[in-house]
Amino acid sequence: MTGRQPRLGWVADLTLGARLVFAGGRNGLLRTLLIAVGVGLGVAMLLTSASIPTMLAMRQERTAARDDLFFEAAPPPGDRTLLVATTDTAYRGHSIRGRLVQPEGAHPPVPPGLTRLPGPGEMVVSPALARLLDSPDGALLRPRLAHPVVGTISAEGLAGPSEYAYYLGTDQLRPELGARRIDHFGSEPVGRGLDPVLTLLVTISFVALLLPVAVFVAAAVRFGGEARDRRLAALRLVGADAATTRRVAAGEALVGAALGLLVGAVLFLVGRRLVEYVSLEGISVFAGDVRPSPVLTVLIALAVPAVAVMVAQVALRRIVVEPLGVIRRAGGRRRRLWWRLALPVVGAALLAPLDGRAANATGTASQVQVITGTVFLLTGVAALLPWLVEAVVRRLRGGGVPWQLAIRRLQLDTESAARMVGGIAVAVAGGIALQMFFANVQHNYVLATGHDVDRAQAVVTLEGQNLAGTDLDALTARFRDIAGVERVVTTLVTGVTAADATPDDDGLRPLTRLRIGDCAALREFAVLDRCADGDVFQTVPSEESGSEESGSEESGPDSPDTAGEDVARPGQRMEIVGAGPAPGVAWTVPDRLRVVPYRPDPSGAQSTAVLATPGALDLGRLRALDAEMFLALDPTRPDTIELVRNAAAEFGPLGQVMALHAAVEADRFTQIRRGLFLGVVATLLLLGASMLVSVLEQLRERRRVLAVLVAFGTRRATLGWSVLWQTAVPVLLGQVLAVALGTALGAILLAIVDEPAHLDWPSVAGMSGLAAAVVVLVTAASLPTLWRLLRPDGLRTE
Amino acid sequence: MTHPTTDDTDRPLLAATGLRKNYGATPALDGATLHVRAGEIVAVMGSSGSGKSTLLHCLAGIVQPDAGEVRYRGRTLSTMSDAERSALRRTDFGFVFQFGQLVPELTCLENVALPLRLSGVRRREAEQRAARWLARLEVSDVAGKRPGEVSGGQGQRVAVARALVTTPRVVFADEPTGALDSLNGEQVMRLLTEAARSTGAAVVLVTHEPRVAAYADREVVVRDGRTREILLAER
Repeated sequence: MTGRQPRLGWVADLTLGARLVFAGGRNGLLRTLLIAVGVGLGVAMLLTSASIPTMLAMRQERTAARDDLFFEAAPPPGDRTLLVATTDTAYRGHSIRGRLVQPEGAHPPVPPGLTRLPGPGEMVVSPALARLLDSPDGALLRPRLAHPVVGTISAEGLAGPSEYAYYLGTDQLRPELGARRIDHFGSEPVGRGLDPVLTLLVTISFVALLLPVAVFVAAAVRFGGEARDRRLAALRLVGADAATTRRVAAGEALVGAALGLLVGAVLFLVGRRLVEYVSLEGISVFAGDVRPSPVLTVLIALAVPAVAVMVAQVALRRIVVEPLGVIRRAGGRRRRLWWRLALPVVGAALLAPLDGRAANATGTASQVQVITGTVFLLTGVAALLPWLVEAVVRRLRGGGVPWQLAIRRLQLDTESAARMVGGIAVAVAGGIALQMFFANVQHNYVLATGHDVDRAQAVVTLEGQNLAGTDLDALTARFRDIAGVERVVTTLVTGVTAADATPDDDGLRPLTRLRIGDCAALREFAVLDRCADGDVFQTVPSEESGSEESGSEESGPDSPDTAGEDVARPGQRMEIVGAGPAPGVAWTVPDRLRVVPYRPDPSGAQSTAVLATPGALDLGRLRALDAEMFLALDPTRPDTIELVRNAAAEFGPLGQVMALHAAVEADRFTQIRRGLFLGVVATLLLLGASMLVSVLEQLRERRRVLAVLVAFGTRRATLGWSVLWQTAVPVLLGQVLAVALGTALGAILLAIVDEPAHLDWPSVAGMSGLAAAVVVLVTAASLPTLWRLLRPDGLRTE
Repeated sequence: MTHPTTDDTDRPLLAATGLRKNYGATPALDGATLHVRAGEIVAVMGSSGSGKSTLLHCLAGIVQPDAGEVRYRGRTLSTMSDAERSALRRTDFGFVFQFGQLVPELTCLENVALPLRLSGVRRREAEQRAARWLARLEVSDVAGKRPGEVSGGQGQRVAVARALVTTPRVVFADEPTGALDSLNGEQVMRLLTEAARSTGAAVVLVTHEPRVAAYADREVVVRDGRTREILLAER
């Protein structure tokens, strides 16, 4: 090893290391394969993460390109204009984007993804919607979209491959009935800025999800470490100096990392092809969008080999070579605590100055500080875990044979165990911090809708021009007959204006809402102590009605106007306005008009209105009145809402059905929450898979000892329990660390956004439960291999 | 501590007849037959790949033969369940392998105590008995050390102690001195045979070294999967 050209020496040593990777026959190849698969899984995950910016940008670009809702004034009708109406709907919790389109000339704009506009009654659908409509699962949707499909929307017109969307041609749209006139599709994609809290959340989410992957990659390059140590020790015995051995180790690590990069790239490319078949939380991605950012790809390609070499060098420090070539771990030297403890302390120290300065924490410098601080804090979990496992298991004694085998194994080699669960512990710590953060800031992003879901769970709005008449009973009966509909409140809604009202500058007269329904229905909108057919009510805010308790006040012809100019007066001549061009119908307010306080309807709306029972006006003369119905649904029949939507569709495509919810989350908050969910699922899947590889690798390393134990007559259960304890003890200790540091990180992050910190025990339990589930699943998945290795004929290797 | 009675010595404790075993297309045993009486030491000799280790594994119930049968104290091993065979290995058999194959994470004392603990003996008692056996095999000084911290000869003596601690009726020793120098090998064989004779245990000793086989009462040669008894005159 001496007397060589230094540069050539380096190359020779690295090459020797590379050759050693493939030495060792079948076992050597298996070890190399494990490393490649392990590192490859991590690399695939990193490449997927590096593709997220492109995925988001492409998705945003396509949704912006099909945009048809503009703030500028509508263009005048012409050869190149198109009328569009939104007919979005939902099916079993999935949104369906719907548009009615009606060209006004020969050259209307065509939305992206379509080659031509569908003719009246024709429909162009997304591939996912086409599949759904063709499948048994879509049976309940087919009546709603029972139109001939003349084409499919291509990828350019869709947010994702699993998006449900359709364009339906029509000739019934009119601008005065809610249709929009446009002369182009698409708007500039506008990246909406996130508020500081959400920015922090996104930043931390990325760190918390990717750090375990990095920890795992570092662990994967040590697969088969014992055999490698033996090889390196043998080299030292034949005269290789420490530096040469390190270079040989570096060569081995580099080849492992390179193979891992290769496998990762293959896994990524294969996964990319399959990604279109996956839809999580309503989000799906086109394979073409999954393109890693070039800069991040280069970083990954450099970082993975660097980490591999670094880990190999650190591991070498624990090898001792004796004259007989026996490898002995430097078990006598205990792990140092100070630098491990320093990591979270430094992390906390970096984050602490940002206390209460969330708005400032989104600048580039501060973001670096947040990321670095979080990385340090979470890395502390991985760094402290081996020390903690060592310190705890050193003190453990007694117990049955499985416990003794497990504890003694851990005492001998804490590194493998800690390495195996380190990624999980870091993921749990990050998850706890994020969940804690979510739980404590959630109140800022969850908005109460004001919906009274005890009274109704759905509201149906039907466009007037599609209703054949004004038969309230028939309308009510149509919806009440639906299985699962328990109660229907039906009212007809239109506008009413004083006959002598002065038009404004635009020629429009002030309108008051006129709601027509029976007494039971009207009680949903006003506090009525008595009501009979023929009665008319004017609703006003409760403080203006005089008596909220009594709920009404007689208002005769001579009574003073109690509620301002927009309130109808008995005997007043009015005009009832129909939808669209339908002529108004004259109506004189009956003398029995009473002023009553209004009551929020089940959707939370409350407004000044004239409420009329059918007997108070000549319903037969009225045309094109909109209908509004509140429905109480049987919660045990989730498909009832679909039947309601289908019934509403019978009255025209512009009918709307809205499910009522007590609260909704702010969109961006929901998106981040969904993103985090996807990330957690992906990370746990990766960690579960990697942990399985790691457990199998450890079992394989111990196959001879296991076979001997079986030869002694050791029961399978004894060894099974021993494996479980051996995994469970470090996992449990990892959980303790994860809870401690995750909670600390959560508290610090909450301090940054000036929110009080409360430990969210359900989140802690949930995250710990997830981690435990992963461990149990991995152990269960490894049992068949364990049973196979426990066959006594494993002794044949002797 | 001693097992054999007058009756026991008259009929074989362990009898294998017509054993056949193939590993894939490779025959390992081709009609091997062997009888072991209580308390006797039988050396099974043969070159590498002759099938002697496979014969030992079949005798111990570790490997099921494809044909033929192994009877232990009148019971056919192949008709016993896996659990019964495991129990037999815990209580009646002891094992010594070429590299000791001690459990690396346990101390030498715990390794020796392990078969007892697997049989349900309480920890303290198991370790007391293990300590006595370590003393008998002259390795008390390594009781608290892990296998990786002791020499090959010491490790092998610990393995012998582990094989004998349950006072088995049969000890199976597969190349017990294969990894040792001659001095250590001699010492291990002396201690193994002395201890076995003192407890009345039979020993099935697989070896390719005549020097080791010389410790046995009789020798059986395995060649191409078949056994042949070596008469005293041939020795």
